[in-house]
Amino acid sequence: MKRFLIYTAKILLITVLIAVVMDGLYNYVFLQSKNRGKIETVFNSKPQNYDVVILGSSRANNHFVSKMFEDKGLKTFNYGMSGGHLFEASLMLKLMIEKKYTIKNVILEADLNLSNDKESDGVSAKFLPYIHNSEIIKEHFENQENFNELYYIPFYRYIKYDGKIGFRETGKIIMGEKTNALDNLGYYPLVKHKNGNMKNNIVNLNPLKHNKYYEEIKKICKEKNIAFIAVMTPMCENVKGMNYFDKVKKVYPEIHNYENVVVENKYFSSCGHMNDAGSKIFTARILKDFFNK
Amino acid sequence: MFFNSIAFAIFLPIVFFLYWFVFNKTKSTQNALLIIASYYFYSCWDWRFLFLLIFSTFLDYYTGIQIEKGKSDKTRKFWFWLSILVNLGFLGVFKYYNFFANSFSELLNSVGIQASPILLNLILPVGISFYTFHGLSYVIDIYYKRIKAEYNFVDYSLFVSYFPLLVAGPIERATHLLPQVKVKREFSFEKAKEGIYQIIWGLVKKVVIADTCATYANAIFDNYTSMNSFSLILGAVYFAFQIYGDFSGYSDIALGVSKLFGLDLLRNFNYPYFSRDIAEFWRRWHISLSSWFRDYLYIPLGGSKGGLWMKIRNTFIIFVVSGFWHGANWTYIAWGFINAVYFLPLLLRNSNRSNMDTIELSLNFNSVKTMISILWTFLITCVAWIFFRAKTITDAILYLKRIFTNKDFGFQYLDNERYNYELILMIGLFVLIEWNNRTKIEPISGKKSTVKLALAIMAIMAFGTFSDYKEFIYFQF
Repeated sequence: MKRFLIYTAKILLITVLIAVVMDGLYNYVFLQSKNRGKIETVFNSKPQNYDVVILGSSRANNHFVSKMFEDKGLKTFNYGMSGGHLFEASLMLKLMIEKKYTIKNVILEADLNLSNDKESDGVSAKFLPYIHNSEIIKEHFENQENFNELYYIPFYRYIKYDGKIGFRETGKIIMGEKTNALDNLGYYPLVKHKNGNMKNNIVNLNPLKHNKYYEEIKKICKEKNIAFIAVMTPMCENVKGMNYFDKVKKVYPEIHNYENVVVENKYFSSCGHMNDAGSKIFTARILKDFFNK
Repeated sequence: MFFNSIAFAIFLPIVFFLYWFVFNKTKSTQNALLIIASYYFYSCWDWRFLFLLIFSTFLDYYTGIQIEKGKSDKTRKFWFWLSILVNLGFLGVFKYYNFFANSFSELLNSVGIQASPILLNLILPVGISFYTFHGLSYVIDIYYKRIKAEYNFVDYSLFVSYFPLLVAGPIERATHLLPQVKVKREFSFEKAKEGIYQIIWGLVKKVVIADTCATYANAIFDNYTSMNSFSLILGAVYFAFQIYGDFSGYSDIALGVSKLFGLDLLRNFNYPYFSRDIAEFWRRWHISLSSWFRDYLYIPLGGSKGGLWMKIRNTFIIFVVSGFWHGANWTYIAWGFINAVYFLPLLLRNSNRSNMDTIELSLNFNSVKTMISILWTFLITCVAWIFFRAKTITDAILYLKRIFTNKDFGFQYLDNERYNYELILMIGLFVLIEWNNRTKIEPISGKKSTVKLALAIMAIMAFGTFSDYKEFIYFQF
């Protein structure tokens, strides 16, 4: 039995060693990643100067046409992340500040995402390779339920989120495979109009009275002298519970309601996402209202 | 509590420690601990079904004794049929009632008689097909005087409820497991080490091969109407490796865990995809079930006695019943039937036992022939798996039809955000490892076992699929 216990201890030791080595290896690879996604690019970038930085979920990513800002002479990048919540938007802004970005304006898409202040596993996982390299990321995750496992158990984060930061992603970074996340200055145009997908039900959705991460973004902007523009972006006509946007306005009067700037179905790819034509109309309106000087 | 869960990783060392350090005095204390651990393990799924398991155990224990004690044939027959009917009754109610009610109602509707079936809202108790078959084989063996009845209830309960085999087999035989349960187990370092190797290799099969293949197979099968021929072919291959990795991985873990407690379970898989014909495949796939059907259905039906026609009839019966054992769905019955059809040429040529030797390859024509036979057997097995995996028989037929009619053999992007071909290399490597170790129980033991063990652990951590957690397929049966 003694032999077996020693043998088991050896296996455990081998397992821990492998975990530590692989953790280091994956971490090294992620530190070289520059053309895969927005998070990796920001983390591995040098200080940047922006006139406009756009943050939010896919409703930011697909709705703000960065080039139209650039045409006006405003250096812009759309950092909206599909599937992301305000948890990630806030961390992204903090990361930019940590990386010494100079930002004049932040446009935050704040509407449906105000209804929760939880992390979005799929998106937040992309920050985790850097949890030991950035105090900001570590602090941001500190209050999460599984922080101890993610931070202290070597390689655990790569196992838990293998679909996002596992060997496939690591392999693609090594191969230098590019994604389209950084094309069009971060704006992802939707072109396909899917028939029959033009309805939504948000009756049960309510904005949180005090969304921690929304307030955090607002606070950072104030402290860093960044002009903060929060907007609600359009949805298609056939939505049950459209008064959600009024509820948002009530709780957060500073958020500009652009929900009904574009309404016709022909401008939408799905109910919550405009196509390229719709996004251009919407962006033009934003430019006119906030940057027409 | 799944074998690949954190809960099991905590449960196993605790039971191991208590077994060898606290309850190690006699075989009774060892068995008592294993029974408690097994019942706890089972109740982690649904404690309510524990009563069903205990009742089923007691029924077979009691009827077994009554059959042995029975002075007249009539008494023996009475207890025998009581056990058979109650066991099959439970299985019928929990697993098959809704299927029969639905099918009967559909039949009536098709001839113009309006009928709506009365369905039962029941959850299938996990492992019921397995522990029922344990009990049945025990009672049948006593009735035919092949074994003596077990009078120690704890020993018998352990034979039925032993946690490594409780929920998905292997389906044990009283002649094999009971004698082991009846003696005090002494710790063997070599056996425990073998167990560790088998557990690790089983985990590789489950989380690296099966669960990764499942991601691709699901993306293809669930959207088969928009898939091209190449994707559909890959979908069938991926599912073949998913079910193999899943079930043989489970069996490896079960056998390995059991070795840690000094008990050997029946081998359930023997590299089935290296079979040269379908008969050999069934001697290597889910061996404990195939041999169960052979001993308790095929042979009692007359086996191969009575000429070719009887042999064919009995073969079809066991395959269809075997298919039905897997689940209450026509797709499983079709899968069983297809396998019986594959058997037909072998039966007609009387060559179903021609590939009994170990496969040896060298640079000659015979080896090429052997390789072609292996590939052909794998191909027809994949076709049968399509029926096993599809939701309905119509889906399976349309899936097959589309392979031939679509004729597009390009790479496709799947809705799991991966390309359909991405997994081929990993499967190729897995096949190569298994091929080179086909004479062993698992590939880790032997020379440089520590290096191989480290590589296997590394593979589990780096290539395993954890975020998209999947249950063991055979738990649903």
